[in-house]
Amino acid sequence: MSDERTPQVPTEEGRSQEPWGAGSPALTPRGTPQRPPVAARSGAEIHAFPETAVGEGDVRTAGESAAPARGTSLWRDAWKRLLKNRLAVFGMFVVGFIAVAVIIGPAIIKALTGFTYDYIPAGNTVSYPPFTAPDGSFSWTHPMGTDAAGRDMLARVLQGGRISLMVGVISTFVSLIIGVTWGATAGYLGGKIDDLLMRIVDVLYAIPYMMIVIVLLAFLGRNLSPLGQIFLLFAALGAVSWLTMARIVRGQVISLKNQEYVLAARATGVSTPKIIFRHIVPNALGPVIVYATLTIPSVMLQEAFLSFLGLGVQAPYASWGSLAQEGIQNIAVFPWQLIFPGVTMALTLFSLNFLGDGLRDALDPQMRKF
Amino acid sequence: MKFRFILRRLLVTVPMVLVVITLTWALIRLAPGNFYASERKLPPAIEKNIRAKYGLDRPWYVQYGHVMRNILSLDFGNSLKYENETVNDILRRTLPVSAAVGTCAYLLALLVGTVLGTVAALKQNSKLDYGAMGVSMLGISVPNFVLGPILVLVFSLSLYWLPPARWDGFPSWSMVLPVLTLSAIYMAYIARLTRAGMLEVLRSDYIRTARAKGLTERQVVLRHALRGGLLPVVSFTGPALALLITGTVVVERIYALPGLGTYFINANLNRDEPLILGIVAFTSVLVLVFNLLVDIAYGFIDPRIRY
Amino acid sequence: MTESKTARLLTLALSAALLLAACGPPVQKSDYFGKVEPPPGQTLRYITGSEPESLDPQMSSGQPEARLDIALYEGLVEYHPKTMEPIPGVAESWKVNSNASEFVFFLRKNARFSNGDPITARDFVYTFRRGLDPALASRVAFLAWEIKNAEAYNTGGSFVRDPKTGRFVLASEAAESGGAAGQAAGPVSGEDAAPDTEFHRRMHEPDRLFVPTDEKEREKALKADPKLAALVEGKELVPATAEDVGVEAVDDYTFRITLRQPAPYFMGLVAHQFFRVVHQPTVEKYGVNWTKPGNIVSSGTHMLAEHKPYNQLVVVKNPYYWDADKVRLDKIVFYPLDDQTTMMNLYKAGEVDATYNHTVPASWLRAGVRYARDYMDAPENGSVYWQVNTTAPPLDDKRVRKAFALAIDRQALEEFRVVSKANNVFVPTGILHGYPSPKGYDFDVEGAKKLLADAGYKDGAGKFDPKKFPANSIEVIYNTSESNRQVAEFVQAQWKQNLGLTIPLRAIEWKTFVQTRAKLEYKGFAGGAGWSGDYMDPYTYLGLFATEGGDNGTGWFQTKFVDMLNAANREPDQAKRYEQLSKAEAYLLDECPVIPLSKPATSWMKKPYVKGMYPNPATLHAWKFVYIEHDPAKWDQSMPDMTNDQIAEAKE
Repeated sequence: MSDERTPQVPTEEGRSQEPWGAGSPALTPRGTPQRPPVAARSGAEIHAFPETAVGEGDVRTAGESAAPARGTSLWRDAWKRLLKNRLAVFGMFVVGFIAVAVIIGPAIIKALTGFTYDYIPAGNTVSYPPFTAPDGSFSWTHPMGTDAAGRDMLARVLQGGRISLMVGVISTFVSLIIGVTWGATAGYLGGKIDDLLMRIVDVLYAIPYMMIVIVLLAFLGRNLSPLGQIFLLFAALGAVSWLTMARIVRGQVISLKNQEYVLAARATGVSTPKIIFRHIVPNALGPVIVYATLTIPSVMLQEAFLSFLGLGVQAPYASWGSLAQEGIQNIAVFPWQLIFPGVTMALTLFSLNFLGDGLRDALDPQMRKF
Repeated sequence: MKFRFILRRLLVTVPMVLVVITLTWALIRLAPGNFYASERKLPPAIEKNIRAKYGLDRPWYVQYGHVMRNILSLDFGNSLKYENETVNDILRRTLPVSAAVGTCAYLLALLVGTVLGTVAALKQNSKLDYGAMGVSMLGISVPNFVLGPILVLVFSLSLYWLPPARWDGFPSWSMVLPVLTLSAIYMAYIARLTRAGMLEVLRSDYIRTARAKGLTERQVVLRHALRGGLLPVVSFTGPALALLITGTVVVERIYALPGLGTYFINANLNRDEPLILGIVAFTSVLVLVFNLLVDIAYGFIDPRIRY
Repeated sequence: MTESKTARLLTLALSAALLLAACGPPVQKSDYFGKVEPPPGQTLRYITGSEPESLDPQMSSGQPEARLDIALYEGLVEYHPKTMEPIPGVAESWKVNSNASEFVFFLRKNARFSNGDPITARDFVYTFRRGLDPALASRVAFLAWEIKNAEAYNTGGSFVRDPKTGRFVLASEAAESGGAAGQAAGPVSGEDAAPDTEFHRRMHEPDRLFVPTDEKEREKALKADPKLAALVEGKELVPATAEDVGVEAVDDYTFRITLRQPAPYFMGLVAHQFFRVVHQPTVEKYGVNWTKPGNIVSSGTHMLAEHKPYNQLVVVKNPYYWDADKVRLDKIVFYPLDDQTTMMNLYKAGEVDATYNHTVPASWLRAGVRYARDYMDAPENGSVYWQVNTTAPPLDDKRVRKAFALAIDRQALEEFRVVSKANNVFVPTGILHGYPSPKGYDFDVEGAKKLLADAGYKDGAGKFDPKKFPANSIEVIYNTSESNRQVAEFVQAQWKQNLGLTIPLRAIEWKTFVQTRAKLEYKGFAGGAGWSGDYMDPYTYLGLFATEGGDNGTGWFQTKFVDMLNAANREPDQAKRYEQLSKAEAYLLDECPVIPLSKPATSWMKKPYVKGMYPNPATLHAWKFVYIEHDPAKWDQSMPDMTNDQIAEAKE
């Protein structure tokens, strides 16, 4: 489908994103505390394509400055658009299903078969294939087979899912918060502050992450409860993944900050934090959401690496990353030890990604034009 | 203007590397264990001999001064673990390996990734789009420590086409599997970032102008859209390239390649201070330079950006 | 629905790809594993383990280095390829005195370095002194500390001399009554295998006292021991030098080692790389770089041709080797690899001919590799055990420690692990012939519960009550590795099932682990790497608790135990000595600072065309016996017969 030929009809809802449009294009010099001076070219562009500005000015009512109303409509609209995206709905369904499964699944398995993620049957010397009883006949006991120690793979995959989903979502969220704030601030403010903030990012990039984790563990990890260990893990994962996020956001913000609506907002005296977080960040969300969906798999896998250093989930607990790592060693002989955690994880990541794409599209204010 | 900007950034590199080195040095000293500790607890007298030999019994500021002098003279001394090798030797030997694999992988990823991403964006929500994104998602969802062994299983152990591991120099057949394994994830990243960037740009005003001017779709995409659409890819490239060169750890391990990543991980685990510091100093310069290049590239690609 | 169809297809494709990849050739029972195709000529491609730290034999301690050093350097003696007993190397023959405190080696006259220089007794004197040089700071120098005055020289000590009489203060004067040093009997005089010399007579004087030369350290030592301070007061200090060490070139081809006390195990140690001969002019000319290709002059069957770290190390036949006619391998290519999967892949693809020990993943064995005809599975001179921090409650009570030791079903562990056999004592059973192992920890849950109840963890009826035990205040730490994790999970499950106690596990990175254990910063158990014997004698294990500060990471050190060991070592009769050592081990087991678990099997692979290479207890191979057999009729049909000590010989 060739989008560019689609007639550009404004949809029924107004462009609630652009609050400056309310019929006051006057670029009053007063509220401009920050550099840079308005570029002449930008101004020209405003006039070159007036329809965006005019279009919403018309729709917007006098009371549009009321922030809450605008906020809800943004999210409600996004939600509506999300539901129209079948792939996203599919992704949402799968993620939801897996989330529910990992939360209640282990209890159900225990009730049905008595197996838990850490139950090692006595006298076991072999890993059973899926649906196979010890004597080789068909059996429902282990639908995913057993691992090297004879533990039920299904129970382990579900239990591992709890850890991995938690790690993926929370750590990504942490990195999102830090990265967006940092990157947007640097990109928007520019100059010396940008330099300083980005050089800090560079320095953090360059320090060996492994050493940080080793020292962190030596000083904090020793007497930590299991719960504390998990939080340390989130912190360690989030602490590293925000760096790239910050760079990406900064890049976006720099390219957005001289756009007409930002200049206009600045000219009308909107405060800097408000410009950054209300006007620029929502418009930079596309790549941010995409990168966030890319961060989830990478932190999930990093978790497996960190447990090598001794940070994170401890045996006999498992995560998808650690299960896959275990499984890959045995791929030639016990393939099911890799296939089930691997496929579950891949399916989840696929779905999360579809969901992320849908979300990106839904949140993108310009989407509706196409 | 541009020249002064570049000069300033280059000048700031020196103090930054020193900051990085100082912090890293402090971390190494804070980390438990040392390069000579092993299974058997050493008699204290033997430990004393070792500490005296490597100057570890001197006050910390003397040792720190020594480190700084080494860094500034660009001579990092000998590795502690591999006594008769200087850090510079190790860098000289391992960097080409990592760089060969990393660069090839990145070029492959860039080529395939941008094409996939652009096609997907142009044909948004079509089967082509889903197909391209599906393939790229595979690259992300299948971690390289899984992908690598699978490739080995198929191409080396079942078909006997390619060697399962080890390095035979550049170029050689032994590079194929490592490059494929390494490029998968970057290909995926680039494809997705390109798609997102392109979607953003394709809707922007200047593309509409371009179209309005009556340029062909091909011209619009290649000459105008691609420039802006690649912006996120460009900002990803700086850190990614540096990480590629140093961060091929997993791939180097799977294929037993004598690269920088292998050394770096082992240096950390061995607490091999000169080697860690040497590699860190080298890579931090690399990261800084790449990021500088990225920022310059930004200016070229997106004329709206000023410094 | 096209979208979700696509998604489903992709998922399907992913699983199909995985399945396809997974269903590689199945492991066949009773067959060889992977490609069997000998390389042309006499070239062996071998996996040595991790990248060698150093090719300097005096500087390295590990097995990966030992495997290379055997090719590059020869010692007075060499390891027998099957039994690891000493066989002639540079020394044609040797004589040991009656209490195993003096060793005279008669060197062959045609031994040469790889540049043609003859190898003489003086080279060995240089080699031994060099290894002990404090400036070299070798990590394994303590292996030679039993040599007279070696410890004093290596640790930078000074003898204490009365300036008026010129008499040295003796070690026995400073020792506590019954202390180890005090009773050490010197070598027996009057049964010399080589001419008596002045140096020799000096070596037969009683052990001298030595104190640190370094002022600060000496003050510290003297402050801690007033008796010592009194002895040193007003005396002059004479630093120990290399010339004081008890090694002597009696003539060019007679080399004598004198020990400070009897050490019957010492002969088993002489083949260690630390004692292998190096070329003095080369070492002195190139300093730290002397082992680089181009610089190095070696003394072994082969010499270094190429060294690409982390990639490969190539050695070629040394034409000057005294027995060069017998050396069959023209070239050995060593691959430094330590990832099990990678090396098994290389082995399977026929890119390497043999691997080092513990290289086959347990799961592969379970899946059938253990039945392969080229699988080498022989007992190893090693012991896997967990250490216990005996200084912190509740494990400072030996009843509690023993209870945990008793509540493990080691037979089940053996079945589960495949690569190791059950072992309920500290010194591995069945490997040291004639050593009577004491009674070990049998699997005894009731006994364990009773011990715990006795220790106070009981309910009103006097029965063991798991709720009373602070299981969460202790933990098991182990250094991250697949096999350690599996063992830890298994033992945890055992304790949970047998005692109702769930002890948390914690994996730590290696160096942190070592430090945590050495400083006793762990609470509970340390499940680590275990110990591979340096030589074929129980003392290599029991001695772990005997060296200075050697609590072996458990906080348990008793002079009573050390005295038992020393007494045993003074016993000239081997059977009686073993009995005494066995009693010492029984005492150790009763104190329970370690929980023995298993003894590893060597577990490695060797293509059938590789001959003369045997699954010996340390997996160290004298390369001069190894060759490639190109005639399939003569290939090994299974693991070589290890019950005799015959070595395969190639027919010309």
